[in-house]
Amino acid sequence: MSLFIIMLKEIVDNLRDRQTVFYALLFGPVLLPLLLGGSLVASFKQLSIDFDQVTTLSVANTDKAPTLIEFLYSNNIDVIDAPANIQSSVRNGETLVVLEITEDFGQALRDGAPAPLTLHVNNADKDSVKAARRVNTILNVYEQTLSNLRLQHRGIDPSVFDSLNVVENDVSSEGANGQLLASILPFLFIMSMVMGGFYLAIDTTAGERERQSLEPLLSLPLSRTMVVMGKYAATVCFVLLSSLLTALSIYTLFKFFPVELMGGQVRFDGATVTHAFLLVSPLIPFISALLISVSAVTRSTKEAQTYLGLLMVIPMAPFFLLQFLNIRSTLVSMPLPMLSQYQLLESAVLGDSIPTLHIILSVVGTLGATAILLWLAARLYQREKLLD
Amino acid sequence: MIVAEELYKSFKRVGASRRKPAHEQRIVAVNSVSFKADDGCITGLLGPNGAGKSTTLRMLATLVKPETGTASIDGYDVSKHVLQVRQHLGFMPHNAGIYPRLTARENIQYYARLCGLNRKDSLQRSGELIEQLTMTKFADRRANGFSQGQKTKVALARALVHRPQTIMLDEPTNGLDVMATRGLRDIIRQLAADGHCILFSSHIMQEVAALCDHIAIISDGIVAIEGSLNEILGRTGQTDLEDAFVSATQALSKGDDE
Repeated sequence: MSLFIIMLKEIVDNLRDRQTVFYALLFGPVLLPLLLGGSLVASFKQLSIDFDQVTTLSVANTDKAPTLIEFLYSNNIDVIDAPANIQSSVRNGETLVVLEITEDFGQALRDGAPAPLTLHVNNADKDSVKAARRVNTILNVYEQTLSNLRLQHRGIDPSVFDSLNVVENDVSSEGANGQLLASILPFLFIMSMVMGGFYLAIDTTAGERERQSLEPLLSLPLSRTMVVMGKYAATVCFVLLSSLLTALSIYTLFKFFPVELMGGQVRFDGATVTHAFLLVSPLIPFISALLISVSAVTRSTKEAQTYLGLLMVIPMAPFFLLQFLNIRSTLVSMPLPMLSQYQLLESAVLGDSIPTLHIILSVVGTLGATAILLWLAARLYQREKLLD
Repeated sequence: MIVAEELYKSFKRVGASRRKPAHEQRIVAVNSVSFKADDGCITGLLGPNGAGKSTTLRMLATLVKPETGTASIDGYDVSKHVLQVRQHLGFMPHNAGIYPRLTARENIQYYARLCGLNRKDSLQRSGELIEQLTMTKFADRRANGFSQGQKTKVALARALVHRPQTIMLDEPTNGLDVMATRGLRDIIRQLAADGHCILFSSHIMQEVAALCDHIAIISDGIVAIEGSLNEILGRTGQTDLEDAFVSATQALSKGDDE
């Protein structure tokens, strides 16, 4: 009962604190997904080329190569005349790229020699590079066609030059883009959980010591373990709320996401997000316990912020570890809190099947670590030094 | 009623070298504290800063355990019957320690609920205390901008919320202006008249002389002398409490030297 009263008081108390509310309900669940998701969309848009979209291309000396112009046209490129000063126009960004057909282009073609073409591109400008890639791709196809024609003309089968025929078979359910997305999802969840409970945990433990309101509280007829658990329960509520909101905003965000840009069939429907949330949910009690036990050691809010600031590295560590080392999901990695959730969520988003044993190990390992941390927090509250 | 017998408490010295002998690694906060505080009486624990007043009160409030010696509140041993002691004791530490984002009423109600009152009773009890301590004007304002006097009233109301028989106040008049101090003295006198046992710690001689029926002078963790104001003056052969205090503590340090 007193646990419930303490929990309720801490929640009401902290809902009146702007800092706590901002970080718990706005920063983690809304701003962070928007920032990360937004930049992700932008970078995908930058990289991917939509060949079906009709675009224009400035070409100098269009009359020298009517067949090429025809070919470009059939590949959704409308040719327009090049500006007078090609170089400065491209450098200043007035024109993205300019294809310059040289005077002797037609003659070289007729002679069966390499026909010179110049593609003016500004490598400092991403849009220019992207436009150049599209043009290059189309020109490559054109070149291939011409080469084949020349070979056939001389009675040679063009396929004799293809000594290898490599077929890449991607066995993952999604491509590499999906992989990146899949590793960002657990990061978002864990970050918002930490941010959600961060200020409440500090305020209810270190803050209480700093305000010197702990001494009268502990002299009331209730056990100290109840006091810690009440504060823990309040933290769990905030972390839960924060992660639920994150799930909601991830779902909303990916509804507006141009999924076809991700290069695969990544689906962020309600089922995937719910599945991901359930897999990550054992971290709610775990992260709350971690926050409470660390801030129970500290004497002031400033000290607590320092320690917990360092603690922020922990949710980020698996993210970078997995990016660089590509650790596989094993029975050893599964009982480790955070690392296992990262791996499970990646699999879940990529649509890979997850062995039930892995899920059980992850849940048991995380909850076991939670129990140890809670025991530690309760022990820390029994110390006489708590009142110094 | 409070009975303390030979209370002793030491703390680890911060940054003490482990190579030093054990007794040098620890600071003795309370060496030998014995005194008695009766019901219906205001007992003053008088001593300079660092004399061990707060540590003594913390031991009585079951926040820290005495290493040796015993103490009891209304017959309950502070080391053995922790919860009963807490139920019979209202403790106000030397800084108000109230929650700034809660209103005065919410602060009091929170403690009432934690002491086991249900919602209805806690509302009624905090209403009573707000009336009793004349807090009506600021009862529903958040404690953030409260004056020291207002904070002290809220803290006192919280200490009284479970109707404890014994009440301990650690330097309650610190930072209060004249009017607030007078108001608080009247409240303390009234509580004693109602039959409560009041233990009041202070380092201000005049205050203790003006308010207390019974005085225990504490210095360097030892109760040097204990009795009513007249008894103390008589035994030390002095005419005011300040001189009596000096002579009592000097007698104590002489006793140490011999």
